[in-house]
Amino acid sequence: MVAGKSQSLFKDRPIKVLLAKPGIDGHDRGMFVLAKSFRDAGMDVLYAGLLPTPEEVVDTAVNEDVDVIALSLMNGAHLTVFKKVADLMKKRGITDIAIVGGGTIPDQDRPKLARMGITGNYGPGTPISTIVEHVKRRAEEARKRKLGLN
Amino acid sequence: MLDTGEIVSGILRGDPRSISRAVSIMETMPGSAERRKILEAIYPNTGNGQIIGITGPPGIGKSTMIGKLSLSIAQKGHKIGVVAVDASSPFSNGSILGNRLRMQDSLTSRNIFMRSLSTRGQRGGLSSTVWDTVTIMEASGMDKIIVETVGSGQADLDILGLADTIVLVLAPGLGDEIQAIKAGIMEIASIIVVNKIDREGAYMAMKDIQDMLAINSADGWVIPVIGTNALTGDGLEDLMGCMEKHWIYLHEHVNIRESRFKNTVAMDAKIQLDQIVQRSFQRALQGMETIPGKNGSPYDESNSIVKKTIESILKGG
Repeated sequence: MVAGKSQSLFKDRPIKVLLAKPGIDGHDRGMFVLAKSFRDAGMDVLYAGLLPTPEEVVDTAVNEDVDVIALSLMNGAHLTVFKKVADLMKKRGITDIAIVGGGTIPDQDRPKLARMGITGNYGPGTPISTIVEHVKRRAEEARKRKLGLN
Repeated sequence: MLDTGEIVSGILRGDPRSISRAVSIMETMPGSAERRKILEAIYPNTGNGQIIGITGPPGIGKSTMIGKLSLSIAQKGHKIGVVAVDASSPFSNGSILGNRLRMQDSLTSRNIFMRSLSTRGQRGGLSSTVWDTVTIMEASGMDKIIVETVGSGQADLDILGLADTIVLVLAPGLGDEIQAIKAGIMEIASIIVVNKIDREGAYMAMKDIQDMLAINSADGWVIPVIGTNALTGDGLEDLMGCMEKHWIYLHEHVNIRESRFKNTVAMDAKIQLDQIVQRSFQRALQGMETIPGKNGSPYDESNSIVKKTIESILKGG
């Protein structure tokens, strides 16, 4: 797999992605599968561990200067918890880190999440390549912002 | 956000976002004008922190130990930065930066700044990125900076050479592994830790190491061997005491300012040279004669590549 269209954007520093399950959710098997897939796609992968608070997720993302935060929840709390992460980012004025989501997310919730800037929101059965491509696309946007290219 | 002036004032204020962005610049653009500008501006504020290198074989408990250790050091009123180096896949170039996972609790509760770096095939630049990161952390007011590496390979030795205090972490049952790494790393360790002290054979391992050290007892600093249990925190007080003692020892016996200066000069010259040489070398490689025998033996051809590279460097890259 190639590291996105504009190679030079990620030449010296690959896409860096933070996987997190903020909130009460211990189902992290899927996270490990994704972590490995992202690594195999040439990304630097961080996993926030179980039960981080939204504040911890944002702190980690900032300290590590990731390109993408990938959130996952299987407990139905995405509209509250994902929103909290997005709000915290907004509050701290962070626009150069993209947020994507996933988990058991009903179709009708997707537009609501998209309006918060949380895209993807893939459910069970999504091909991993779809997720990887989406993360790459969002990472490219984020990296361009980081480098002041748009 | 690439305004270096803003980043610099952010670093000096201790703002995590600016520190983090500055580190990204060091990673992404080694040798760039931005990097230079930032480092130049923060340089006067550096040189006061203790840089602690922690190394040892994988799975030995380094990350867990640093998690506990950084919390205890923070409680003593220090500001702490952690740089963790993780291996990246040689195939995809990707990596899973797992160190952080084991420190998560202490990091967030105490506002400790941690950054993970991966060892991807940077053109010899990893040590320089780590060194730049340490420099930024120092400038932001952190006075204890922990660098974690997997103790294998020359790159790690390079990084460790930059640390003031080097802690080598081992565990009982390593057997031959101790043999394998003792030549490289045991010689530069300031403190040796035997972790997982609750395991069978731990005290024998400590004794073995002490015996080994007794053979080549260096004058001056006597390398302490400490038993710890990173999970429960046993022995970490001891370790902190030794790190502090070593810091005092260094102040009494070594000109730290001078060695920092020397290291920085060497490091920075190396990264600049690397870039110049690589550029010319890659260009020369492209003009390689690939038909066997056309320009003589492969060794003739390699000689001419070397010559072309040097010529191109002299012409100004």
